Amino acid sequence: MAEFDTTTEVVVAAEKVRDAGFTETDAFSPFPIHEMDEALGIKRTVLPYLVFIGGVAGLLIGLGLQYYTHVVEYPIIVGGRPHFSLPAFVPPAYEMTILLASFTAVFGMLFLNGLPKPYHPVFNVPRFNLASREKFFLLIKKDDPKFDYDETKAFMEDLNPQEVFDVDE
Amino acid sequence: MNTDTYNAPKSLNRWQSIALGAGGIGVIVWLVGYLTGNEEEALRGWLLGFIFWAGIAIGGLGILMLQYVTGGAWGVVIRRVAEACAKTIPYVGLLFIPIGLGVYKLYEFANAPATDKIIAWRGWYMDPPWWAFRAFVYFVLFSIMAYLLSSWGAKQDASKDYEESAKWLSKATRFSGPSIVIFVLLVTFASVDWMMTLEPHWFSTMWGFLFTAGWALSCFCFSVAILAYFSDKPPLDRVLGKRHFHDIGKLMLALVMVWAYFNFSQYLIIWSGNLTEETPFYVVRSKGGWGAMGLALIVLHFAFPFLILLMQDFKRKAKWLASLAIFILIMRLIDMFYIIGPSPKLGELKQHLLEVPFRVTPWDFAGPIAVGGIWLFIFIWHLRQRPLVPLNDPFFENAIKHGKGH
Repeated sequence: MAEFDTTTEVVVAAEKVRDAGFTETDAFSPFPIHEMDEALGIKRTVLPYLVFIGGVAGLLIGLGLQYYTHVVEYPIIVGGRPHFSLPAFVPPAYEMTILLASFTAVFGMLFLNGLPKPYHPVFNVPRFNLASREKFFLLIKKDDPKFDYDETKAFMEDLNPQEVFDVDE
Repeated sequence: MNTDTYNAPKSLNRWQSIALGAGGIGVIVWLVGYLTGNEEEALRGWLLGFIFWAGIAIGGLGILMLQYVTGGAWGVVIRRVAEACAKTIPYVGLLFIPIGLGVYKLYEFANAPATDKIIAWRGWYMDPPWWAFRAFVYFVLFSIMAYLLSSWGAKQDASKDYEESAKWLSKATRFSGPSIVIFVLLVTFASVDWMMTLEPHWFSTMWGFLFTAGWALSCFCFSVAILAYFSDKPPLDRVLGKRHFHDIGKLMLALVMVWAYFNFSQYLIIWSGNLTEETPFYVVRSKGGWGAMGLALIVLHFAFPFLILLMQDFKRKAKWLASLAIFILIMRLIDMFYIIGPSPKLGELKQHLLEVPFRVTPWDFAGPIAVGGIWLFIFIWHLRQRPLVPLNDPFFENAIKHGKGH
């Protein structure tokens, strides 16, 4: 893991890491860096598609639930209207859509991020606490296919960092 | 401060001539219709065109005030387009004159017999002179708001340093907050006066919001089309970026949803209330050709743009977004026709029709083209008078940077 002083330095370094072919990487900073996704070659999340599927599922469940209760299981005439009265079904179906879409968004985000995660080795590096204050860190994991301890360490020294750390597991 | 002038590209002149030509032809065709004894049909066509284009102009004033209140990069890039829309409002008032003069040939409330208790009970409020005077007041108030905001914008453009520029911005912001409240009230009164009165016995409390949202959507779509036209031409190709269109696309999505939400609310309230005064509006509009048109509006004015606008990549491509914006604008016009077309013509009210044949006249095309041509001519004229972006705005540099982000 390498420590950097400024956003520009960490983004430039991240681009070099990406161009060197590393894929099992991560970056840590006190605030979001919009360029980082591209610099580190992070793929776009599939979350929006999951949320859409969640929303469609909510819509179908909402309509299905009302259809089953009002038409199949317990048909009762309300206000002289047909059992299947779509306008009245829309608000609950809409609410179900929102509910399942937002559940998918929140829990899907946690799941895709691997959260909650009680233990992460990077915290074994004492200076890593500064990632929430003023320093920027780049991490290359040892399960990266291109990872070789000596070479990778030398490569990271070349990125012009403040310091390079070994992360104990 | 900024040395670029950001004047409108020359190619706009050609569009201005085209607009004037189309408007001229539209007016001639419309006049032929009016003078050959189709006065009522012609006036309905003119009202259709007026309400559609006035919606863009008045919506422009709303967007202008909204972006001053909220701030943000999308507001900086859309400001001058919305401002040019708003500045056309006095001329929109002139385009209202055929409707104001034709009130007795267009609206049933102006001709109702004294035996019509519902209209009689409204008394002097619905007397045509007082009705016309109200329209005059709406236009005066809208114009004052547009004039003040655009004059402060001009002073900001001329300002020499940061403090002076920030002073005019904060003045516009403080003016816009309270004015939005007055604006929504005016839109409510205006939409009731001009459109709801087509159905003199019918009423809906969603009407004002429906038009506020609809007109904001109209102006947004119109602005997207204009900005997309500028996006690959100097000088704005240096300014407009993917993220600007992404942001504006998100707001378009929101407004499409708000329009659908208000429309459905109105339908649901009337459907569940099931009262004889209210339901004929939808009974008429759910039969025959009108029914098909209503379904088409649900699909093409809401579902289709909604699903398309969910896609991130779509919103980031200026030309794609502009194509959808123009599509929504056409739907806005059809939505207005869906309100005007089936409404009772003179003398039909007392028949209490529950089925109206699908009727579309040549003047329903001539009206929007006539009003639109004239309006676009005036709009482009205003757009060319000023730089296309508020180049001395304190947030201008930031707004450019924001757009160029990934």
